[in-house]
Amino acid sequence: MSARPHKLINHPDAIVDEMLEGFCAAYSDIVQLTDDRLVTRAQPKAQGKVALVIGNGSGHEPAMLGWVGQGLFDVNIAGEIFTAPGPQRIVDGIRAADRGAGVLVCVSHHAGDRLNAELALELCAAEGIDDVEMVILYDDISSAPKGNEAERRGTAGLFFVWKLLGAFCEGSGDLAAAKALAEKVRDNTRSLTMSLSSCASPITGQVMFEMAADEMEIGMGLHGEVGMGRQKALSADATIDLMLPPILEDLPFAAGDEALVLLNNSGSLTLMELFVLYRRVAQRLAEAGITVYKSWLDAYATTQEMAGFALSLCRVDEELKALWDAPANGAYMKQV
Amino acid sequence: MTADELADLIERMAERVLAEREALNRLDAAIGDGDHGSSISGALALAMQEINMLEEPSLHAIWLTTAKALLNGMGGASGAIFGTFFLKGAAQLKDVERISQADMTELLQAGLAGVQARGRATVGDKTMVDALAPAVAAFAAAVDFPSAWRAAAGAAATGAESTRDMLARQGRAKYLGERALGHVDPGASAIALMFAAAADAYAQ
Repeated sequence: MSARPHKLINHPDAIVDEMLEGFCAAYSDIVQLTDDRLVTRAQPKAQGKVALVIGNGSGHEPAMLGWVGQGLFDVNIAGEIFTAPGPQRIVDGIRAADRGAGVLVCVSHHAGDRLNAELALELCAAEGIDDVEMVILYDDISSAPKGNEAERRGTAGLFFVWKLLGAFCEGSGDLAAAKALAEKVRDNTRSLTMSLSSCASPITGQVMFEMAADEMEIGMGLHGEVGMGRQKALSADATIDLMLPPILEDLPFAAGDEALVLLNNSGSLTLMELFVLYRRVAQRLAEAGITVYKSWLDAYATTQEMAGFALSLCRVDEELKALWDAPANGAYMKQV
Repeated sequence: MTADELADLIERMAERVLAEREALNRLDAAIGDGDHGSSISGALALAMQEINMLEEPSLHAIWLTTAKALLNGMGGASGAIFGTFFLKGAAQLKDVERISQADMTELLQAGLAGVQARGRATVGDKTMVDALAPAVAAFAAAVDFPSAWRAAAGAAATGAESTRDMLARQGRAKYLGERALGHVDPGASAIALMFAAAADAYAQ
């Protein structure tokens, strides 16, 4: 499968601004675009609650724009395509988000996201802005071996952190507890990705990397980073049979566990394919004695038109299940 | 070196990187997302724009303005790293009107130390440090500005070229494994271009 070279854009330099304007116009009941290009809630959360901020490179929509809203993020700072925003913009986001009970800056672990968040926190300290913490989040088991979890990348499975942490912060003014909750969800989440295709960079129009038509790669990162190597493309069932066991072994998940399950479309997979894939996931989890509390199949974090998916599981207890069932209203994540 | 001379130097660096923008983009396309040339040339152009608007363009203000333009105009890991390079030495220039080659050596060394602490990269990791570290060492070993920039430019070029046969151990390319082999690191290449521009300025 080849990447689609022509994108319906106007000018590469204008993509991010025009995308933000369109998104905020479409969902003006949920979000608003500030003069300094921050996406904030249309109705701010209550004073005295921990605020949540995330910056990220653009090109992965609806992440993270679609996660601003009630029960989710307070502010999203969109960087350039595949490029984390610089520290001053993150500081601007922290100021805009603050509701008087501290701000937690979430970092989906990639070098640019981490370095700029670190610099932003140094700037906050220099300016006397207290009560700001950052939490480094990761889920991709292919990016570093077990034992080196802190070196792993953040991918689509952070979906669970966004929802559960968002629900927690809607009702809590305790910054340290919010950070601990984020780490708890992270430490119970595992993901593995696969891809059948490359995608075209919206800036250059060029294919990001080459992939043969009959190949697939397991463990590919959000930007085409190498995973566990290329192999001949397999059937849906055989692909799940290859991907699910290492996820289960890594945590490890055990018989009797309850889990949230995500099959995230990286871009151009069809829902039909996701349903066929999920059938096998459900079969294998039942065999393993793992109960699915809830599952989601859709495109929540994408890499342009890449044809692939992430399979993510999060082990939940009663606390996390209750947080999942709490209301959320983002443009691309709703829980009623 | 005076403030005027420093501003001129940074302008020449910006021009050189802009001239090689597409070449840097192509290097980045091989092992990254293909925009390194556009993003660094854009940030250096922003630095020049803001330096030209400074009411009191002191050495300190010019150095700090460059740092902020790279940090905020570039974004990503590259912006954080290149910006940190200028940010770390900036304090040394406070209330200073003229710097010697020895002063510049201290500035470059402070920047290098900041970059390595921030990025956790050492020589051999296939990053801009592979060009920057030998360049700073060569600069320090020289006795005056023209010979220092010339030696640094040569060392940076050799260092950048050495990344071709390296596996990446930091940055996004570290996840490319052997796919990164055979490609020069675009950040190291940008560093080599900046030192080459400085050497050319002092050769005239």
